[in-house]
Amino acid sequence: MAHRKALVVDDEIHIVQVVAIKLRNNGFDVTTAENGAVGLELAGEICPDIIVTDFQMPVMTGLEMIENLRKQESTKDIPVIMLTARGFAIEEGQKESLKISAFLSKPFSPREVLKTIEETLDTAAVI
Amino acid sequence: MRYNKILIIMVVVLAGCSLTSHLVMLVTDINVSVIFGTITGLGSLIVLSSLACCWSSTITSLKIITKKLNDNKPEEAYAGAAKQLLPLLESIRKFSQDSAKKTEEITKQSMDFNLQLRLLRREKKNTESILYSINDAVIVIDGYDRLIMANSASERLFDFQFDELSVAPVSEVISDSKFISLMHQSGQSKQSHVKHDISVERGGEMLTFDCVISCVKDEAGEVSGVVAILHDITREKEISRMKNDFVSHVSHELKTPLASINAYAEMLVDGEAEDQATVVDFCKIIQSQAQRLNRLIEEILNISRIESGLIKVDKKPFSMAILIQESSKMIESYAKEKNISITVPAPIICDQVNADKDMVSQVVINLLSNAVKYTPKGGHITVESEVHEADKNICVKVSDTGVGIPADDVEHVFDKFFRVEANKKVAKGTGLGLNLVKQIVEKVHDGEVFVTSKVGEGSTFGFNMPLALEHAGKVSN
Repeated sequence: MAHRKALVVDDEIHIVQVVAIKLRNNGFDVTTAENGAVGLELAGEICPDIIVTDFQMPVMTGLEMIENLRKQESTKDIPVIMLTARGFAIEEGQKESLKISAFLSKPFSPREVLKTIEETLDTAAVI
Repeated sequence: MRYNKILIIMVVVLAGCSLTSHLVMLVTDINVSVIFGTITGLGSLIVLSSLACCWSSTITSLKIITKKLNDNKPEEAYAGAAKQLLPLLESIRKFSQDSAKKTEEITKQSMDFNLQLRLLRREKKNTESILYSINDAVIVIDGYDRLIMANSASERLFDFQFDELSVAPVSEVISDSKFISLMHQSGQSKQSHVKHDISVERGGEMLTFDCVISCVKDEAGEVSGVVAILHDITREKEISRMKNDFVSHVSHELKTPLASINAYAEMLVDGEAEDQATVVDFCKIIQSQAQRLNRLIEEILNISRIESGLIKVDKKPFSMAILIQESSKMIESYAKEKNISITVPAPIICDQVNADKDMVSQVVINLLSNAVKYTPKGGHITVESEVHEADKNICVKVSDTGVGIPADDVEHVFDKFFRVEANKKVAKGTGLGLNLVKQIVEKVHDGEVFVTSKVGEGSTFGFNMPLALEHAGKVSN
């Protein structure tokens, strides 16, 4: 079975690193990006099965990256999980309109991230 | 006969005097009644009745005396006249006494009335002075929506001139239809107090007011007027917004290192570290993130302590150039990550300042880390320090080849929680670092901060600080 591909986007190197290690230890091929702009570019290139992204980042925020992902044919259906310390900053309805699969609040649990990714991918597979 | 005629004239004159005094009494009483009410009016009626009786009696007596004189009985006429004259004189004396007493009473009442009037006028003036002096706008309308009182603050707010003598409908004087509508609604609802937040544009600036509208009710409980008091809460709203932004920023900044600590600790517990070296790496990350968390909390607390004057300051003489070199070493690794070079001044003599070394080091580190943060990869940062002997101070400048700051934002960069909107995407921040610099330099060390910047070319942040007094003396000598 081919490894599932995950893209982890966060400007905090330690956060990217910990999520990446957790996912790699559990059978994912992980690519990392330091902001939304780099994430958007890499998503177009590697077409990951799942994207885990921060909300507030320099250059391009997580939300702006998702908006752009949804505009591109190759990336419009990639499930996204958002890690954020500012969940309240998401406007009503944005979760649905941008098809954000789940929000996880910081401080988060890597176990919880993995579990949410597995559930999201399972749901996507059924659909 | 001549004597007789004189006598008759006297009687008539006396009778006339009696009548006049009664009339005077009556007129006076009527005047008083106008002023003081119906009680004395009733008195006037009694006087009128007695006057009628007296006049009737005088006419009858005159007829009898005339008849006696015509019958050639002068003695009887004199006796009759004298008999008639005595009670008349008594009556006049009594009326005169009464009149004097009443005049005295009326004079006293009039003085009391004047005194009360003066007191009322003074009280009204005092009340108006208080209302006019307060900063809140106060507007009062009567039961017919006519403007009956407006203080200076309300005139300034709604840009009108209140004329006390011209009672006009409030809607003709104040053009703000939303406010007028609120006053109408409150008057109709008969509610005691209704609170609204309203926005009013003044001089191109949108101000927010806390508007309390209260109904004035008469004894029957009917609304006889409406009072509106508008308190400017624009500043409070702004502070509230800044506090919300601050909580939002700080919570994010606090949660980021906390998230790392939590995540790596869990990884260790779950045995996700594949070897001993990774375990050590994870522990080091936990340690460094805990230190970062502590620094952030200290920064917030320091600003709070400086502002409240509670911070402990330990001033000692030290060389500014050496401190700059030491501080820049702490930023070196961060600058290397972005391939940014830093030039620091060579140690010079006579640059001693009497200051809190830790605090000034914090100032230089904050300026340097900001410069690195907002300078693109491959850029350059220059630190200069100049001793101004004449001014007995030292000037430190940190110049970068960074993104720069738009002109409109430059004056706000040292404000607490302020972040340059255009640069928010360049790097994260709380908007606290430069404020801490300003507080340390200006509040703790009597110095001054400054900034110049050009978008796309870079910025220069710096500060002036007094030289150590002993040292400054040596320089000037």
